Amino acid sequence: MSERNESTLTRRSFIKWAGLSSAATVAGSGVNTPKLQASTTGSKKQKGSIQYAYSVCDMCMNKCGLIARVEDGIVKKLDPNPKFLKSRGMLCARGNAGIDRLYDPDRLKHPLLRVGKRGEGKWKQISWDEAYNLMAERFDKIAKKYTRCGVLFTPGSDMQSTFVHRFAEVFGSYNVTTHESNCLVSRNRAFLDTYGEVPFADLLNTNYVIMSGSNRFEALVTPDSTDLMTAKKRGCKIVVLDPRYTKTAALADEWFPIKPGTDMAFFLAVTHVIINENRFDAEYAKDKLFGLEELREHVQQYSPEWAEKECDISAKDIIRIARELSTAAPEAIIYPGRRSSDYTQSSQIRRSMAIVNALLGNWDRIGGLTATRQVGLSKPHLEEAPFYEDNPDDRVDVDRAPMMFEEEGSFKLIRDAVLEQKPYPVKGWFIYKFNPLQSAANRQKTIQMMAQMDFIVNVDITMSDTAYYSDLVLPSSSYLERTDPASGLQGSSACACVVTRDPVVKPLYESKPVFEILKTLSTKMDLGEYFDFTIEEYRKQQLKKLPNAEKILKEDGVYYNQSKLYGIYEGKIYKTKSKKIELMNTRYQEMGVDPMPVYHRPNMPKSNEFRIVVGRNAYFTHGSTSNYLHLNELMPENTLWMHPKSAAKLGIKEGDLVAVKSSVSEVELKVTFKFGIREDTVYMETGFGVLSKNLSTVQGKGACLVELLEDQSDALTGNMAMHETFVTVQRKGVV
Amino acid sequence: MFNAIKFSIFTLILISMISSPLLAAKKGNGRKGKYLFRKNCRTCHIENGSAAVLSPNSKTQANWTKAFKKDVYSKLKCSAEWEKRKAKDLLDIYTYMHDHAFDSPSPAKCE
Repeated sequence: MSERNESTLTRRSFIKWAGLSSAATVAGSGVNTPKLQASTTGSKKQKGSIQYAYSVCDMCMNKCGLIARVEDGIVKKLDPNPKFLKSRGMLCARGNAGIDRLYDPDRLKHPLLRVGKRGEGKWKQISWDEAYNLMAERFDKIAKKYTRCGVLFTPGSDMQSTFVHRFAEVFGSYNVTTHESNCLVSRNRAFLDTYGEVPFADLLNTNYVIMSGSNRFEALVTPDSTDLMTAKKRGCKIVVLDPRYTKTAALADEWFPIKPGTDMAFFLAVTHVIINENRFDAEYAKDKLFGLEELREHVQQYSPEWAEKECDISAKDIIRIARELSTAAPEAIIYPGRRSSDYTQSSQIRRSMAIVNALLGNWDRIGGLTATRQVGLSKPHLEEAPFYEDNPDDRVDVDRAPMMFEEEGSFKLIRDAVLEQKPYPVKGWFIYKFNPLQSAANRQKTIQMMAQMDFIVNVDITMSDTAYYSDLVLPSSSYLERTDPASGLQGSSACACVVTRDPVVKPLYESKPVFEILKTLSTKMDLGEYFDFTIEEYRKQQLKKLPNAEKILKEDGVYYNQSKLYGIYEGKIYKTKSKKIELMNTRYQEMGVDPMPVYHRPNMPKSNEFRIVVGRNAYFTHGSTSNYLHLNELMPENTLWMHPKSAAKLGIKEGDLVAVKSSVSEVELKVTFKFGIREDTVYMETGFGVLSKNLSTVQGKGACLVELLEDQSDALTGNMAMHETFVTVQRKGVV
Repeated sequence: MFNAIKFSIFTLILISMISSPLLAAKKGNGRKGKYLFRKNCRTCHIENGSAAVLSPNSKTQANWTKAFKKDVYSKLKCSAEWEKRKAKDLLDIYTYMHDHAFDSPSPAKCE
């Protein structure tokens, strides 16, 4: 059995690569940083001159600090900023490959207008002036016919996305959503409804971690990924529950190939043991927890013996782990994870995880879950947005799920609403750095959603699949070419800090930052007064309460607020109805939702089917980086992970091309054998099987995961549920 | 006598309903409420303003419900401003503040 796609990259070589790129990990450790100069923008350089500039990475959402080495106006190397605590002075493979983003030959260069049908790939280059006039005219037309809520705005994860929100607000549309409901909304919901806020994990200082589905040694989150390794070396025990033998599983102390979707059974049984054996701090519970007696009664039915039958983890192991966990408490964590776009019960599953954390007494203390730290940025006061009386009362996805976040909604439910044209039609779409044709389950449905639209604008840096199906595609500047507002980062026990960006090089081609695009558009639509500021002015206002921040950001590339980390909640009430940590949520009860998680066995694949699950690796960011040369080299195409026994039953040999079929579509790709996957489960990476003909490196490679996935969603929040799809696998050519 | 008691109870309920219209189950338009709050209240209830800084998460939901009772807000310094507003406007503002309160499912800081 070969690991064909990873043959050029063993774990050791990857860590070595990352190690070569990391400098000292502690600020002020005496590493000499070359004196950093202001950006090279506009300055005349001698041939052979080298300049350095700070920025923060944009290849994923972590925003690791970096130092760019610029020779003769070309960015030659991106290195980590040794003073950046959140990244522990590291810049990963993707961070290094940021140069690919800047100099990508496939990069969008000019405004392009679709000629021919959507998805045909026929474009006409137009001027920015023409683009602005067209946008103003078309959005105005939609506003008049369908009200301002007739335009949908989807800003991606970006430091300028706040200005897309701003534009939507002053334009007057309530229909704004981000990638978050394809990711972590259900996790946020569950922890918010337990603790009153969404916690961070102090992995650096903890002694026992259970990772349910989370894969921190590949799905990199800073400082968590590095801190987990440090903790492990210190003797922290790591237990992984995952149907796949991920790199995190490989480095853990114990790995359980849990039956997918049954994590709630495991955690309810752990709760059962902790409560029944009195393995919790009764004083703490009396003082800080709400609903203990109700929880005690509720979990009696969820014994380890019962759970064993559901989750494929033995009762003996469940009891042992519950005891080990509670002995290690309060320096013990059920890791909250991040992406929770898995099951229709995903909110309640995370509730069961939050509840165990609560019983461990780990909140707001070292080695446990920590609260949001103060960063100190101010929100600039901008001109009040107008109110449009003819607008409908609310968002188009209103009431489709009982506990959506009001300003977030749900992409899946919006898509349903657009297709139904209920409660009202949505006919325009402004997309920024968002690629649902690679990241949102059921690709064909997104294509149908786009077919409903009169006018789609897409601001991106490459011709992503979603851009390929849009009407007006506008070239965005990369992070290395922009001035950005300040942004506060929560680094759990590493730091709370402020970052920003100034251009490292001038924008290439005719690219523009989305702020500039919207500012100009606003003037064309009589909304100029609402964008009557520059980013520099905006940033000044953000930093007004941090008087040294501007100077320190220039000198160090990062500003730290040494704000409180532990004990933030001392003497304070919790932002919950009971003012305590809620084991039982009475708001849920009032709404007719289970106040404590109730286990329902998830749908299971039939004997001839496999559950297909979703995951992340360290080389790709969702569907957006697989076309970059240096990253594609690590994985030129995706394959289907399959257990050799399952494959043998179907007469499939390693490397065979197979047809993978779900109830919504079918794709073809090759098979890789993995002993490290359950026999009832298959897996494939995201970011392949692209439709766009302008992604030349990854074109024609592999298959698209979301083409296969059914679009189910979390019952509470509408978060996409991407692990509920069952597929059949057949060797190509077999009838 | 029972009729007299019934009548008194009915009258009391009617009076309390009139004096606290916001306690009725009717829901206002929170989005309009946000606009009205920013336009009318936030001009003073802002940093360096003439009154205490206020945003929806300044109070719990229960406390907002209390604050929007006539016998409570009529005692405020800015009660005249409250009197100027139509009942629908107050309901809209209340809906916005309540739905984004400190302990609400969608806490918001008006900044």
